[in-house]
Amino acid sequence: MKQENNSRRDFLLNGLLAAGVAVGVGCSSKKNVFESGADETVIASGKKVKLLSVDGEIIEVDEAFLKPVPALPPVSNKEARLGIAGKKFVMVIDLSRCKNLRKCQEACNHMHSLSPGQNWIKVDSMDDDSAHTAPYWQPTTCMHCDEPPCVKVCPVDATFKRQDGIVLIDSDRCIGCRFCMAACPYSTRVFNWGTPQIPAEVAVQPYSCETSVPQKKGTVGKCDFCPDMARRGELPHCVSACPNGTFFYGDLNEDSVSNGSETFRFSDLIKDKSGYRLMEDLGTKPSVYYLPPVNRNFPYESGLENDKSEKK
Amino acid sequence: MENLNSEEKIIQDLLPQGFNKSGRIWTGILIALCLVGMFAYYRQLRYGLIVTSMRDYVSWGIYISNFVFFVAISLVGSLITAVFRLSKVEWSTPLTRIAEMIAVAAIIFASVIIIVDMGSPERFYNLFIHGRVQSPIIWDVIVITTYFFISILLLYFPLLPDIKILIGHKETKDHRFKYLFKFYNFLGSFWKGTPEQFKLSERAINILCITIIPVAFSIHTVTSWLFATTYRPGWDSTNFGAYFISGAFLVGGGAVLVAMYVFRKAYHLEKYITEDHFEKMGKMVVLLALLYLYFNINEYLVPAFKMKKSEEAHLTGLFTGEFAPLFWFAILVGMILPIIILLFKKGRKPLPVFIAGIMVVVGAWFKRYLIVTPTLLHPFLPMTNVPESYRHYFPSWEEWAIAIGSLAGALLVITILARIFPIIPIHETLTEQHETAE
Amino acid sequence: MKLLNKKIITLFSIVFLLAGYDGLSQDAQKGDLNISLSSFISNNKIPYVVAKVKTKIDGKFQMVSGINLNLFLDKDSAGTLIAKVVTNEKGEALAVIPPSLKNEWASTINHTFLATFDGNQKYEASKADVTVIKAKILIDTTSDRKVTATFLEMKDTAWTPVKGVELKIAVKRFDADLSVNETATFTTDSLGQASADFKRDSIPGDSKGNIILVAKVEDNDQYGNLSIEQTVPWGSKFAGENNFYKRTLFATRDKAPVWLLLMAYSIVIVVWGILFSLVDTIFKIKKLGQQIKS
Repeated sequence: MKQENNSRRDFLLNGLLAAGVAVGVGCSSKKNVFESGADETVIASGKKVKLLSVDGEIIEVDEAFLKPVPALPPVSNKEARLGIAGKKFVMVIDLSRCKNLRKCQEACNHMHSLSPGQNWIKVDSMDDDSAHTAPYWQPTTCMHCDEPPCVKVCPVDATFKRQDGIVLIDSDRCIGCRFCMAACPYSTRVFNWGTPQIPAEVAVQPYSCETSVPQKKGTVGKCDFCPDMARRGELPHCVSACPNGTFFYGDLNEDSVSNGSETFRFSDLIKDKSGYRLMEDLGTKPSVYYLPPVNRNFPYESGLENDKSEKK
Repeated sequence: MENLNSEEKIIQDLLPQGFNKSGRIWTGILIALCLVGMFAYYRQLRYGLIVTSMRDYVSWGIYISNFVFFVAISLVGSLITAVFRLSKVEWSTPLTRIAEMIAVAAIIFASVIIIVDMGSPERFYNLFIHGRVQSPIIWDVIVITTYFFISILLLYFPLLPDIKILIGHKETKDHRFKYLFKFYNFLGSFWKGTPEQFKLSERAINILCITIIPVAFSIHTVTSWLFATTYRPGWDSTNFGAYFISGAFLVGGGAVLVAMYVFRKAYHLEKYITEDHFEKMGKMVVLLALLYLYFNINEYLVPAFKMKKSEEAHLTGLFTGEFAPLFWFAILVGMILPIIILLFKKGRKPLPVFIAGIMVVVGAWFKRYLIVTPTLLHPFLPMTNVPESYRHYFPSWEEWAIAIGSLAGALLVITILARIFPIIPIHETLTEQHETAE
Repeated sequence: MKLLNKKIITLFSIVFLLAGYDGLSQDAQKGDLNISLSSFISNNKIPYVVAKVKTKIDGKFQMVSGINLNLFLDKDSAGTLIAKVVTNEKGEALAVIPPSLKNEWASTINHTFLATFDGNQKYEASKADVTVIKAKILIDTTSDRKVTATFLEMKDTAWTPVKGVELKIAVKRFDADLSVNETATFTTDSLGQASADFKRDSIPGDSKGNIILVAKVEDNDQYGNLSIEQTVPWGSKFAGENNFYKRTLFATRDKAPVWLLLMAYSIVIVVWGILFSLVDTIFKIKKLGQQIKS
C-alpha cells in the first residue's frame, strides 16, 4: 500500500501534466465525463480544448466541461463551511449484509491517514448476553444529525452543520475542549491525543475540512461523509470498499441511494425494509438510516473471527 | 487610654506576619509541588494530551473534576460574605476575608485547570474571536470572568480601610518591605477614611453582595450544565444545577472550617476566631451537608428506582461495581461522617471541626471525580474497535502532578494573600469592638 | 521469462542478504502490474479511454497510482499516441482522442486501444489492449412515459440494429443510475430496441421537475461502454427545504437564536454595567481622598 500515493494534490497535478500532451483528467470510469445535466453546476472557463468526436470530427469543448473537474483550487474554508447547495446527503446501512469484515474501516482509515488505533467507522457487536435477542453487527459512522448535539455545544464553531447535511470539523479552529465528544451520544468522535502518526507526504498536505487530512494534534476528528468525494460526484470510501454492499449513500433530495452496484429509491427502501435511525428518541435526527438485520446474508458468527484478531 | 491600647493590640494581633520557619517550609513545599506540576504540563504541551490517561471514551478526567472542585469551592466567597452579610449575621465578620481569599484563589485555578485540559491551548483566543453564544462553555467563560472580577472587588473594597492601617503600621522603616509598602500605597493611599468615602464604599459592598449571589449561582449552574446538556447517563438530569450548588456550598463551608483552624493556629488568632465561630460554622456545615445529601438521594435514588437500560451499568458500577469503594467513601466521608461529628456539641470544638472540614473537602474532591468519569465509561453504544487502554481510566502521573500542582497553587495564592493582607478585617473588628464597648 | 526473472530475483536476494545489505533487494523484487482498458462514448459525442492499473499485494489486488502509461490507437507507434497519462489515487487514468489522430480514427470501424508501461524501479513493464466495434445508442421517450433505447453498430457503412445487447434504462442520480422501474437491465430485440415504462412517479427532479434519463451499455465485450441521456419533465418539482439559514442552537455563531441573544446580552450588560459602576466608585473614592490631601 505504500507506493499508493493518496495525495489528492498530486493527483490533480498528474491530471494537469497529462493535459499537457492531450487532455487527460483522472476520473472514475463510471463517471460520464461529458455529461451536462439539468443540475449542471460547472462554470465555463472560456478555455477551449480540441477533441475528436465519435464521428471523426474535430470539435471544441470548454475545458471546464471535462468533468469531473477536481476541485482546483481546493475549496475555501468558507465554501467548505457552507456545503454543496441543493444536496442533502444520507446513508443507509443494511445490517443484514454486514459480517464485520471491516473493509469499510480499512478504506476509511487509509484514505484519511488515521493514526493506528483510531477508527472513524466502528463495527459494534450488538449482543446482549442476558436478553433473548439475536446478535448482529452494526457499523457506525458519524450520524450527521440534523440537530447535532455536538455542534450545539461547540464554543468556537469548529464543528458545524452544512446545508448539505454534513457535520464537519475544522481542525484549524478546534481548541480541543472535547465537549462535542461528551455531547455525542453515538461516541463517534475521536481525539488526536498525541501527534498523529501519518506518512510524511500526507502530513505536509494543506489542510482542508473537506478532506479532513492531515489530522492535527489536540483536535477532534470524526467521519466526515467524504464531502471531497461528494463534490466530485463520487461515493464515500467506505461505501465502495464494502464487498457486501452494506453501505448505501446518496442525496435525499434526489430520493436515491446507491452502494455502487445497486441503486434504490431511498423512500421505497426505507418503507419496504422498515428503516430506522439510532436513538430516535434523543431527537438528534440522524442522517444515517439502518435496515434491520432480517433475512441475513451471513450468520452473526461469521463475523466473530474478525473480532478475535482485534482483541489480541 | 486603655481603649487606645487595646485598639493598638488588636492591630498588632491582626497585621499580616512574616513567615516563620514552618511557614517557610509550607511555602517551599507548595512551590515545589507547583514546579512539579509545571514540569508535567510542559510534557503535556510538548507531547500532547497523550501523556494523560484520557482516551476517546474517558475524554474528561481529573482535570475536569478538579475544575468542578475549584468552581465549587469558590462559591464560599458568596456564601460567607454575601449571604451572611445580607442576612445580618454578624459573627461571620472575621471569616469574610478568609472566604474571599479562598474564592479568588479557587477561581484563578479553575481557569488555569480548564486551559490545562484543552488539547490546543495555544488557540485559547478562539474563544474570544469565534465565541459561540449557543455553547455552555462560552457561558462558563463569561460567568467565570464575571465572578473572578466580582470576587476581586469584594476582596478589595473591605480592604481599603485596612490598607490605611497597614500603611500606617506595616514595617514602614524596614527596607526589606519597600516593595510591599509601595504596593499598599498603590492599592489604597487615597483612602482617608472620610464619611463620604465610607458611604460610597458601604454602598459598593452592598451592591456587590447582592450581585455576587446570582452570579455565583450562575457559575456553578453553568458548570453543571456542561454535563447536564448532554444525553449521558448520570449527567442527563434536571436536578443538576441545584445538586452542584448545594455541593459547592458544602465544600466551601468545609474549606472555611479547615482554613479557620489553620489560620487560628498559625497566627494565634484564638481571640478573634473563637470557639463560638467553630460552633456556628459547624452547625452551618451540618445544614449544608444535609442539603447535599438530600440532592444526592434525589440524584441516585430516582434513576435507580427506574433502572433505565442506559443508566443501569453506570449506577451498578457506582453502587456495587468498580467505583463502589470510592462512591461510598465520598458519601460516608464527604457527608454522613461530618454530619455525625458536627451534630454533637463536642464535635463542634476546633479540632473535630477541623477534621470534619478535611473530610468534607476530601470527600468532595472524589465526589467530583465520580460525577465526571464513571459516566464516560458507560456510553450508549458498545466500546468497539479501540485499544484495551481506552476501556479504563486511571490518571497518569502527569495528571496527578498537574492536579496536585493546581491545588498547591491555590493554597499558595491563599498563603501569599494572607502574607500581604490581614486575614481578619482589622477595621471591621475595631468598629465592632467599639459598638460592643458602647 | 518469468522463471528467469524469479531466478534472478532469488540470486539477487541471496547476494544482498549475504552482503548484509537488504536495501536494494526490494528494488530487485519488481511487482507485476495488471492493466485493464475500457473505452467510453457518451451521448455519441466524444470517445475516451480509461486505463486501470492494479497489482497483487499479499494476495489482494490493490490499485496503483503514479504509473506512467502510454496510450495508443490501433498500433504502438509514435504517430498513433493518444496520450501519456499518470494513474491517480484510484489507479485510473483517462484520455480523450486528440485531433491529430483524425485520419487513423476515420480509417476503420473497429479500433484497438493499447496501453504500455515501460517499467520502473518497482514494477515490470506491462501492456494491455482492448478492441471495440463502432456503435451508438439512442434514446427516445413517449408522452405516456415510455422510454425506448436503440442500440446500433456500424456494419460496413450503415448503422445496423443489434439484438441481445444488455443495457440499463435509468434516472440519473448522485453517482448512480436508478432504474426507471423494478427491472434492473433490459435486452434489445431484433430491432435493436429495448423499452421500459417509467414507474418512478414523483421522483424529485430539479426546480422545474426535470430529470435526466440515461440509457447505458456497460462493460460490453464488443462495444465497450456507451451511454446517452435525455432530459424529461417527469420528476416532481424540487423545492429545497433547509434549516441551514435558520437561527438555531446548532447554527453558527452569527445565527444564534434571538431569545438566547437577548437573554445573554441583557444579563451581561446588566451585570457588567453594575461592575463598571463599582469601578467608577473606586475612582470616586480616590478623588475624594485626593481632595483631602490638597
